Amino acid sequence: MSQHESSNLFATMLSAAQIAELRAAVGADGLITGESQLQTYECDGLTNFRVLPEAVVLPRTAEQVQAIVRVCARHKIPFVSRGAGTGLSGGALPAAGGVVISLARMNHILEVNIPDRYVVVEPGVINSHVTQRVAASGYFYAPDPSSQSVCTIGGNVAENSGGAHCLKYGFTVTHTLALDVVLPNGDLVTFGSPALDAPGYDLAGVFVGSEGTLGVTTKITLRIVKRPEVVQTLLAAFNSPQAAGQTVSDIIAAGMLPSALEIMDTLAIEAAEAAVHAHYPMCGGLLLVELDGPAIDVEILMRETRALCEKNGATEIRIAQSEQERMLVWKGRKAAFAAMGRISPNYIVQDGVIPRTALPEVLMEIERMAAAVNLRVANVFHAGDGNLHPLVLYDRSIAGQEETALDLSYRILHLCVDKGGSITGEHGVGKEKQEALGYMFSEPDLATMQLIRCAFDPESISNPDKVFPRTRLCADRPGPYTPHPLETAGIAEIF
Amino acid sequence: MPQAATLTLADALPQLAAIVDVEHTHLGADAFSVAPANAEQISAILRFGSERGLTVTPTGAGTKLGWGNPVAPHIRLALNRMNALREHSWQDMTCGVEAGCSWAAMQAQLARHGQMVALDPLWPVRATVGGIVATNDGGPLRIRYGGLRDLIIGMTVVLADGTIAKTGGKVVKNVAGYDLHKLMTGSFGTLGVITEVNFRLHPLEVQARTWSAEVADPLLFEAPLRTLLDSHIIPSGLQLRVDAQQCAIDIRVSATPACLDDHAGQLTKFFAEIPVHESNESVWQARQNLFDQPGVVILKVSVLPSQICSTLSQLQAWSVAEGAEFAAVAQCNGLVNIALKAKPDTATALIERLRLQCNSVVILQFPAELHGHIDPWGFDSTALPLMREIKRRFDPERILNPGRFVGNI
Repeated sequence: MSQHESSNLFATMLSAAQIAELRAAVGADGLITGESQLQTYECDGLTNFRVLPEAVVLPRTAEQVQAIVRVCARHKIPFVSRGAGTGLSGGALPAAGGVVISLARMNHILEVNIPDRYVVVEPGVINSHVTQRVAASGYFYAPDPSSQSVCTIGGNVAENSGGAHCLKYGFTVTHTLALDVVLPNGDLVTFGSPALDAPGYDLAGVFVGSEGTLGVTTKITLRIVKRPEVVQTLLAAFNSPQAAGQTVSDIIAAGMLPSALEIMDTLAIEAAEAAVHAHYPMCGGLLLVELDGPAIDVEILMRETRALCEKNGATEIRIAQSEQERMLVWKGRKAAFAAMGRISPNYIVQDGVIPRTALPEVLMEIERMAAAVNLRVANVFHAGDGNLHPLVLYDRSIAGQEETALDLSYRILHLCVDKGGSITGEHGVGKEKQEALGYMFSEPDLATMQLIRCAFDPESISNPDKVFPRTRLCADRPGPYTPHPLETAGIAEIF
Repeated sequence: MPQAATLTLADALPQLAAIVDVEHTHLGADAFSVAPANAEQISAILRFGSERGLTVTPTGAGTKLGWGNPVAPHIRLALNRMNALREHSWQDMTCGVEAGCSWAAMQAQLARHGQMVALDPLWPVRATVGGIVATNDGGPLRIRYGGLRDLIIGMTVVLADGTIAKTGGKVVKNVAGYDLHKLMTGSFGTLGVITEVNFRLHPLEVQARTWSAEVADPLLFEAPLRTLLDSHIIPSGLQLRVDAQQCAIDIRVSATPACLDDHAGQLTKFFAEIPVHESNESVWQARQNLFDQPGVVILKVSVLPSQICSTLSQLQAWSVAEGAEFAAVAQCNGLVNIALKAKPDTATALIERLRLQCNSVVILQFPAELHGHIDPWGFDSTALPLMREIKRRFDPERILNPGRFVGNI
């Protein structure tokens, strides 16, 4: 049966008997079917896609997850697992007629092993809680998506989350040693091991980043990293983002591997200043460089970095003098997305990747494309790894402008692919970019990915109709950005 | 396969020669050796193999063909003609290289811009990119830079049905679609033929120093090793060299000269009464030297880092008691290679004892006298049925290295 045919079957409502089976699987206090409560789960951070699920289940154990998934498998009910719902690509959007498996109650840190540098957690554990737990021993959990104060490890595993520091430290997959997974047929299996190179196929490597389409993870073994002796953050002001970009290239060419390299353009600086008062210098391109490591090394390399900034015409260079100052610098950077609301009524966040060297050319092209349709695009990017977050600003109240903005943001993604890059560096494909995946990969590439999908989930019930292009539906468009409730409440910054 | 029974190798010869060319198609005593020029030819060969039930072993220099269960394929698919460094975007710190390129040839070209793929596999001069990736090999650098799974950003693969598929891309940060390249890495040629690999690169280590220390019993290193691993020193090599009588530790750090001077002082403190001295880069050949010994069984053992010293100490005791000779090189991330020289029964018994207490024990160099007596993988996992299903989806006719991998995949 093709995925498309089976998804038609999904549109049916759950029967009372099926609801009863779910209740038996998870207990009465773990089942939500009331419409007002279900609404909490109708979307994730990409709020313009909304589907009301038929039921939400809140298991407390892997056995309960198994029992739930078995009910779903028996009746071919689609399910989507969900952490905090901070994802930005609609990955946790429910399927019509389907079940949401919320892992919020599986939020225990099960084991901390400092000598062997790993932590075992349940999927509902919040990202920053892992670091908090091991900080006293001098360790941290490296992936730091900026929703880290609320997003969960299970969600990070689904999306292969990165963050500002993945240039040096890598992504969620770099730090995932082992996973327990409930497969879409209800079997509970273990991938990988806390010790390296478990024999067999690297299924942990495949599962991380599969956006919930291969099963539900119930236990994760994470690698933790020794906290560096010293961290230093430098801010340099340039007349243009291109000059800042050239400095990034020079830093890399000098053989340095900073822990973060971030650029913001004028619009982004303005917005961040308005929101957070980070005391950024007003300029055409602001570069943020963070170096960490042994104190002696960092001091020497920071001098080199300074010299490279001067060589490229930096009008102002500052080094954060205290941990407090450093935090303020990052607060401004992390607030940049939400801050767009200060300078534009509406905006769309994108997440393209380009080879670093294409940066000046792509920035110019984005500027040209935006000017041609009378829109503004603010740019915030992880410059070290070429991950752009163009923010297309527009006003929904002006007739036709939303469509123009959507079209522009979509064309920017295509531009990234044309320059040898990717349609997503950290937000995932989800619901939003299904069609764009078809622009990036050819038919045989996608068919090969489907072999993996079919081996894990032959009935296509685990987060169906996500990631891969749909055959008979019109092309997707990325959606306008509306702040997530958590974000407006000031709990999370999202980018 | 019914087709294979009716098709003799001599019958297949002209058809294979039509795909590649006569010059690069040879029929030996019991197998073809075919050297295709590109992915399209590989695609045609695999399609032909799948249709006719001819089994295929992809090979580079053949340095690790003895690893895993033995396979007697109908076709040895040699990748040696596909050996170009296709792209080195040095400013982006990425490269794309054909699978038949030797590791050293690739690194020599990358080094012209002061860069490298941060991995030090076995037999670098001969071993090819494809073979290294298929067997997931790597040496001491791994403690700093991670393994192949952390260094590969994209790949081109030909599947058993001839599909040519790309995965990942040329950029370091990319979460679009499934990471097929992670599935292929370490899959021992059982899911497809790797034809091209894209890597992320690192700067060459320009200034590095190595220090060593020696004791009799590896347990004496347990405390200083723990202190070292918990310090701010970031080693780019940290290994133990052990035999029945002695144990040495080697520590390599790459940093600025001032930083290295500071580290030298710290190391002396960590090791207290055990004298630490500067040593020659050649100590990092130790792992290679193990594999170059003739007539030994070589194991890849994985333990948690905190168990390395006790495991090696126990091995010393066992080898004396059992009358076996051994040498081991342990990376302090927990990956240990052990070379055993013992009678087959003794070797088998030792391996079984190790399997009881280590996370995994795989026999890499697997002498014929052990075949049939012990499973080289020793693998038992709840994930095995899923692995078999993946194999079935990728290679339904079982033409790619059948039986070589875990669980006779």
